[in-house]
Amino acid sequence: MPETKETILQLTKVSKIYKSGSEDTAAIKDIDLIIHKGESIAIVGKSGSGKSTLMHVLATLDRPSNGDLIIGDKTTTELKNSELDKFRNKKFGFVFQQFFVNPRNSCLDNVVLPLVIQGVSPKERKKRGEAILEAVGLLDKAKSKANDLSGGQKQRLCIARALITNPEVVFADEPTGNLDSETGKIVIDLLFELQRKNGITLVIVTHDQDLAELCDRQITLKDGKIIQKS
Amino acid sequence: MRIFDIIRIAQGNLLRSKLRTFLTIVAVFIGTLTLSLTNGVGNGVKVYVNKQLGNLGAEDTLVVQAKQTNQNPVSTDVVKYNPDRQAGTFNIVLLLEKDIQKVKAVKGIEEVTPVYMVQLEYISAGEDKYTVTTNQYIDGLNIDMASGRTVKLNSASEITIPARYVKPLGFESEQDALNKTVTLAFKDSKGELVEKQIRIVGVQQNSLLGNLDTSIGVPLAKEILDQQTLGIPQLEGRYQALLVKYDSSFGVEKLEELKKTLDKKGYFAQTIEEQVGIVSTVIDGILMGLNILGAIALLAASFGIVNTLLMAVKERTREIGLMKALGAHGRHIFAIFAFEAISIGFWGGLFGILVSILIGSVVNNVASQTFLKDFVGFDLLRFPLIPSITILLGIMILSFLAGALPSIKASRLNPIEALRYE
Ligand SMILES: Nc1ncnc2c1ncn2[C@@H]1O[C@H](COP(=O)(O)OP(=O)(O)OP(=O)(O)O)[C@@H](O)[C@H]1O
Ligand SMILES: [Mg+2]
Repeated sequence: MPETKETILQLTKVSKIYKSGSEDTAAIKDIDLIIHKGESIAIVGKSGSGKSTLMHVLATLDRPSNGDLIIGDKTTTELKNSELDKFRNKKFGFVFQQFFVNPRNSCLDNVVLPLVIQGVSPKERKKRGEAILEAVGLLDKAKSKANDLSGGQKQRLCIARALITNPEVVFADEPTGNLDSETGKIVIDLLFELQRKNGITLVIVTHDQDLAELCDRQITLKDGKIIQKS
Repeated sequence: MRIFDIIRIAQGNLLRSKLRTFLTIVAVFIGTLTLSLTNGVGNGVKVYVNKQLGNLGAEDTLVVQAKQTNQNPVSTDVVKYNPDRQAGTFNIVLLLEKDIQKVKAVKGIEEVTPVYMVQLEYISAGEDKYTVTTNQYIDGLNIDMASGRTVKLNSASEITIPARYVKPLGFESEQDALNKTVTLAFKDSKGELVEKQIRIVGVQQNSLLGNLDTSIGVPLAKEILDQQTLGIPQLEGRYQALLVKYDSSFGVEKLEELKKTLDKKGYFAQTIEEQVGIVSTVIDGILMGLNILGAIALLAASFGIVNTLLMAVKERTREIGLMKALGAHGRHIFAIFAFEAISIGFWGGLFGILVSILIGSVVNNVASQTFLKDFVGFDLLRFPLIPSITILLGIMILSFLAGALPSIKASRLNPIEALRYE
């Protein structure tokens, strides 16, 4: 458990309603949640229970229909899209189930994409890119096309990409979903190791009970509502 | 994002589907080539015409004609008879001695000379006879001479001939023709052939504007016309036009005023430049038509750009979604696609202009050795820098506009939906 209980993300009465045809479906309803700096938290629940939606709202990828997201001391409802873009770029890192690497580009190019978006100089990008590739054990693949990597290597590449900006929070949506259990374990171990070392807050969406148990806390969702916190 | 990175990503994207990019560039290239070539011809002809007009001379001379009542030769109007409005050949209203007096009385007019329009039978310097036309020399007119000089205004025994007559008349060269005597023949009013011996004092450079006829002095023209009209009441003492010298200190406004005064009195006045300038108006019209063709080709090409970019946006939806999730602003995405569109326009436009310049120099070379051989200083195609750059910039703006719709579409993609896109 982290000693400081500084709040980094807070949801107050947040709902997300999707309009599909004439019907409205609430993917998440009235969620109140506080996430502290440096903790790791698992979001679990059945398929369709709203896990991804909750993560997207927390990560400013989606705006809540009702309620507020507060990051640090800022209420995001009042911020413009371009300011949210900046938040995501500087403070957040992302790991997706489907990897989302650009297969034609080299590993180094993939890993420095957040820095390209940030406007960091090419020289600095290369330096930091190589350092983070080394940390995930892919330095020898720096010049290889991302397409040539195995699934596990791709996910390690994504972890490197998520961490290259020294983010405060890393969001991972089913990071082991496309990996066999052995590879999945290697990737998860790496993720937790880097998280602890850098004091990063980790939000993981997962089906995998073993993975969820590794986290400091678990939140279980059912039909868009939190039914259990631990 | 750095501009450098936006350009790098855009270029990388263009190179990703090389064939598609290439074909889109080809479409722009064809449009630009058409436009640039028509512009090249336009500039070439204009420069030549202006050069010819620029040293036309006779700046303070107006050509005055009677206002024509029956401009349209197939007019079905029934016009009231007016004994003063005498019609000559082709129903052209001619001018009388009293018209000369009337025009002379207008303030600002210093000298009035009738135009003695004569018809010649042939010109000959020995055996062979050739048909020929002639104009009476206008005071101060700069005729481009290949050799010798223009005729003296008051000479009755001098002629200058266009360069194309030199060889047929049996002279060695333009120099050789000088001071040689030729026979000029015309029919008098009774239909009898009259021959006159005249001295060649100069050979005229071939030109597209005027300069096509031989040129003789005023007394000679008058003498011939008098013999041709003697005893024919509807032609005798009647003239198709008057050459009017006006006060040389007149500016544009005074000249317009003078023309208006003449107009009120029933005359139609034009400067020599205006008379010749009609040629360039016609040329302008033709070139405008050709330019429209080029513009249509470019319009078609810009739809190609729209299409190419829409496909690119679709193909790269996930990539765009990822960039947005990682914090790229909408305007960054917009800039990437807009830059791709502008690049397509730039390369297509640049190659189009370069190839048109290449074609132009080849055509100019061939032309100056063949069909434009006699027109010294006439480059059929000209590509001045500023219009070429204007065309290139115009095409880049056009491609930007064509790329705007796909670019906006890309910039507005929702990151989650884009990432979910299969
Ligand atoms: N863009 C959308 N439009 C309409 N409905 C949506 C949209 N996104 C999600 N939903 C609905 O919201 C609910 C929650 O979806 P969500 O993706 O958050 O579930 P999940 O818990 O992540 O499921 P899984 O474990 O299968 O990934 C579902 O019923 C889903 O159909
Ligand atoms: Mg999900």
